Amino acid sequence: MSEDPRDDPRWQQVRAAASRPVPTPPGLVERVLRSVSGVRGGHTTAPLDLPSSGGKTQVSERALVLMTRSLAAEIGRELGGVHVSAVALEEDVLQVLVTIRFGVEAAVAELLRHRVSAALTGQLGSAPPTINVHVVDVHPD
Amino acid sequence: MSEAAPVPDEELAARAAAGDHDAFDILVRRHTARMYRVALRITGSSAEAEDVVQEAWLSAWRALPGFRFESAVSTWLYRVTTNGALGVVRRRKPTVPLDEGDAGVVPGPEGYVVSAEQVGTVLRAIAELDVGQRIPLILREFEGLTYDEVAEVLEVSVPALRARLHRARVALLAKLGDNFRPGER
Repeated sequence: MSEDPRDDPRWQQVRAAASRPVPTPPGLVERVLRSVSGVRGGHTTAPLDLPSSGGKTQVSERALVLMTRSLAAEIGRELGGVHVSAVALEEDVLQVLVTIRFGVEAAVAELLRHRVSAALTGQLGSAPPTINVHVVDVHPD
Repeated sequence: MSEAAPVPDEELAARAAAGDHDAFDILVRRHTARMYRVALRITGSSAEAEDVVQEAWLSAWRALPGFRFESAVSTWLYRVTTNGALGVVRRRKPTVPLDEGDAGVVPGPEGYVVSAEQVGTVLRAIAELDVGQRIPLILREFEGLTYDEVAEVLEVSVPALRARLHRARVALLAKLGDNFRPGER
């Protein structure tokens, strides 16, 4: 077939579909900025001291936020319908912002919090800071 | 007094790489909408698209110190986003929710020519394409990138891209063939 498919009358519908604006979800830019701010730190300059049985574990804010984000995203996928929007360390508390699929019970946030806390404990070898999970939006798919 | 011209992406990226957080934030504000649009059109899911955008910016932030400015910042961001969206699509089973046709898209000036249902049909047909065809089609036909730019994003030659795009367009028309009647309003 050597004809240009774009000359087909049906292609005008593709152009029309392409011309439709796609709105950015409200607050997305702010959530991105919060995520970036979370991993680049700035709230605390010194590493966090996490007590453990044999001494203490020091972890930087950046490492802790990235680790938390990665674990929360993975656990969210396992739970289904939970997406991590942003993670930040604020006043030594990990704040995890999530969106959940419509129909998923909000109680999943508590389950996520427990599992992330357990996973972090496993990775760090000591208890992580307090974790708060916030459901900030519900999405339809 | 004339309004100051916007600071070029490359200058912002250089400043951001040197530790200027404000410069990076300007890039985020400038490019997030476009990155979300691309991610949504590739994944067909608003939630996954947001995940892709979040991860893309975090990747960009981490990679920025090593950015060599061999391509435009926007091209680089397209590549980061496209690769992220591709990873999402490949990780999941080949079922596509595609909420874009229902809720993610609002009518534009030209869009009123066809119904939302017909636009949804086109978008679903695109979502059914193999990602190897879908992504160049989206970048070229929906994002309006030049052949050179798409080739750079996908890291393929322009002739290879042209061939792939032709096959993608033919495949798209074939999918529309069963579901679409021109002139239908």
